[in-house]
Amino acid sequence: MSLLIKGGEIAREEGAPVRGDVLVENGVIKAVGQNLEAPEGVREVDADGKIVAPAMFDAHVHFREPGQEHKEDIAHGTEAAINGGVTGVVMMPNTSPVIDSAAVVGAVLDKARQVSRIPVYTSGCITKGRTGEGLAGIDGMRNLGVVMLTDDGDPVANPAVLKNAMEYATSFGMFFASHCEVPELSGPRALNEGKVSYQLGIKGSPACSEEICMDRDIRLAHATGAHVHIQHVSSAIGMKTVRWWKERGAKVTAEVAPHHLIFNEEDIGEYDTHYKMNPPLRTLEDNAALLEGLKEGVFDLIATDHAPHGEFEKGQDFVSAPNGITGLETALVSLHDRFIAAGEFGWDLIVKRYSAEPRRLMGLDPVAVEEGKSAELVVFDPAGETTFSRDFMRSKSVNTPFLNQTLKGRVDLVVRGSEVLLER
Amino acid sequence: MAVILDENAIGEAVATLVEQIRATAQRSRVAIVGIRSRGDEVAERVCAALEEAKIEHDYGMLDISLYRDDLSHLAENPKLQSSEITFQMDGAEIVLVDDVLFTGRTIRAALDAVTDYGRPARIQLAVLIDRGHREIPIQPDYTGVKLETARMDHVIVRLKKTDGEDAVELVTTP
Amino acid sequence: MARKDFLDIASLSREEVDLLLDQATPFKELFTRSVKKVPALKGKSVLMLFYEPSTRTLSSFEVAAKRLSADVIDLDVPHSSVTKGETVKDTVDTLQAMRADYIVVRHKMSGLPRAIARQTRASVINAGDGAHAHPTQALLDAFTLKEAFPDLSGRKILIAGDILHSRVARSTSRLFLKLGVEVGFLGPGSLVPRTGPEGITRFTDFDEALRWGPDAVYLLRVQMERQEAQYFPSVHEYHRVYGVTQERFKRIRGEGIYIMHPGPVNRGVELCHEVMDYERSLINQQVENGIAARMAVLYWLKPQTDSEEVNRE
Repeated sequence: MSLLIKGGEIAREEGAPVRGDVLVENGVIKAVGQNLEAPEGVREVDADGKIVAPAMFDAHVHFREPGQEHKEDIAHGTEAAINGGVTGVVMMPNTSPVIDSAAVVGAVLDKARQVSRIPVYTSGCITKGRTGEGLAGIDGMRNLGVVMLTDDGDPVANPAVLKNAMEYATSFGMFFASHCEVPELSGPRALNEGKVSYQLGIKGSPACSEEICMDRDIRLAHATGAHVHIQHVSSAIGMKTVRWWKERGAKVTAEVAPHHLIFNEEDIGEYDTHYKMNPPLRTLEDNAALLEGLKEGVFDLIATDHAPHGEFEKGQDFVSAPNGITGLETALVSLHDRFIAAGEFGWDLIVKRYSAEPRRLMGLDPVAVEEGKSAELVVFDPAGETTFSRDFMRSKSVNTPFLNQTLKGRVDLVVRGSEVLLER
Repeated sequence: MAVILDENAIGEAVATLVEQIRATAQRSRVAIVGIRSRGDEVAERVCAALEEAKIEHDYGMLDISLYRDDLSHLAENPKLQSSEITFQMDGAEIVLVDDVLFTGRTIRAALDAVTDYGRPARIQLAVLIDRGHREIPIQPDYTGVKLETARMDHVIVRLKKTDGEDAVELVTTP
Repeated sequence: MARKDFLDIASLSREEVDLLLDQATPFKELFTRSVKKVPALKGKSVLMLFYEPSTRTLSSFEVAAKRLSADVIDLDVPHSSVTKGETVKDTVDTLQAMRADYIVVRHKMSGLPRAIARQTRASVINAGDGAHAHPTQALLDAFTLKEAFPDLSGRKILIAGDILHSRVARSTSRLFLKLGVEVGFLGPGSLVPRTGPEGITRFTDFDEALRWGPDAVYLLRVQMERQEAQYFPSVHEYHRVYGVTQERFKRIRGEGIYIMHPGPVNRGVELCHEVMDYERSLINQQVENGIAARMAVLYWLKPQTDSEEVNRE
């Protein structure tokens, strides 16, 4: 497969996009420049007015396989990723059974090799059975390529267990990802403690529940020399906690999810479970602080926490409905719609935070649109529109607040190596 | 749309009504009970006339909204007002007063309402205007004036206390 | 305009509140007649769906519905949460088969009545959901205080107790605020939310709250399990600090302050024994007015059942 992508604006990690043609031959970017001519038999793609960007990478997704395939599976999850311009993902291990041993890691990666058109990585549990007690089969998982350890969905409640794990696994070159929460403070884990939890009459989970644990985990990492990655930071003080520790040289990275940037507790309205996730949506002030942290680089990466759930599950009352929303298909377009189109930040931020940095976190090379690199790119039409209808979605689940909404921007083309993964 | 009864004509109709009720009221003590809304204002005028003639009587007001047979068919239920029945209903001589008698359904509802307060000795009916087209077997004992109307016409009554002026209009639907 | 459902106070306009409060009066007047029943809802059925036990509210709704001549169906539901995995839709589908015109719901899950209302043609009345709302209680409270003060605006009411877990506090305070009443919250710091509604004065000291000059003190029922969850050390301490003790009662009586309580009362906890015979205790009126207020709500709502069902056939 060979392509000449003509006249697009090439997005980079640093600086504004620059206009240029991109010639892809046999899966490799052969040339980037002005007025390139298509060699014999090479198809031309008109990208005039469009963005040509490195393909995205999502370091936090729940594919529910094995065990909860009615919500999502690797086949559908990876197609959802492609649909959103994402060509690499890191699965979370809270499946059923959980991914806490070489056997399960092996099974998951085998399945991915059979059904997925993009690379799938998986994290592994810190503790056996994700129970918070007893270390998981860390070396066996490492031998199959696992580098990220996390009990995502829950914190490791006992700090002594986490400390031991950090001391043990750091010597293997692995790092930790923390879901931060003090369960005793979180009530039924339904929504933020504040104005809206009072109005709706549901016990809220205060931001300090997340912040206390975040501080604890970074402190433990700092003490043990481990690298800890803080997942889905949702509050202003959480952002400042990461910033404070970074200034003190802790080995800490952090991610922010699009929904925590875009939505807040007021969006829950009258118990809309499409706005229910953990950590919960907080306040308008938190939205602003998270955006500030993203622009400033406190957050190393954007990750969606793609968390599919069936409609009947989300159709329960607010407390009983499970936490989480899908994100892979909506992330890029919604970030464009809310922030790039609004002039809040440029494509360089997206490339850095949703393509390059998450790959670096996983020890992978970024996939820049540069001569000599393997082709892994998206063509994005900022003037286009995307309607997130059921037909559009390729995930098995549609639990997103963007369901049936039309947003500015469209992923037109996704290329990986010599394969066109998606063309609209 | 045409004004068919002006202030004078309404005054005459009330007088006609009073004239007839007076005969009854002189024989035995009656309770004049007006049906909200506007029936109560007609009743007030009747009472004023009886008072002037020094004829002792009782007075009451009835809101019959809760007794209507068409509530299921209304997009919105009528606003409920207080009923004022302060006299002893058992054994009373009731004269129900309404402004317009049309299908008779309002009076049917009023009869039910009255009897929920007790068991009167007798109930009579006085109406300012009888416009015909009954749907149930109810006839007035006292009538102020009879109007010839078509079934689909609207008779709009305006009275001073409720509406600021005395006038009756006939709106014909073509 | 009539509404289909009665779910919370927040969504009511001032005009709607005034209408309902006005309408409660003629209903209350019916109680003095020899026949207390009217035929307004003849042939209609009212389904009682109480997932939480509550004799008082249930009977109040039953009497209200029966005085309007409606048929009352008391569905015997388990007093537990909706079984995990059973969706609201499943519950509603079961209810549809009963063809009720009105559904009165009480449930420990906040928001459940609204979820039911979205999926049924019947009128849904919230009889209390979790810590969210108890709008008919609010209505009867406002109606009761209005009998003492026909013009409520500028009056002050102090709501005392476990605000955090109380749907009564939420709905009643909201309604009073709508009516221009000044509202104060009093209770242990652990039971009065810091981030709550705007425009409410927060007290943690009863005597200071009395200096604020309330026209009425509304005492919330203390749930004994709160002590176990360590929201306060003991019932005795609660009474001493946040209850109407004999000493505070002297002051309350001296200043002619009205006392309200949604019932049932824990004597010796929220209030001392003497308060029960206080001439300015509105507690018994609240019970009677509850029936009138609920009749006014039933009369005001318009289910979608009638016409649309017919149209489909």
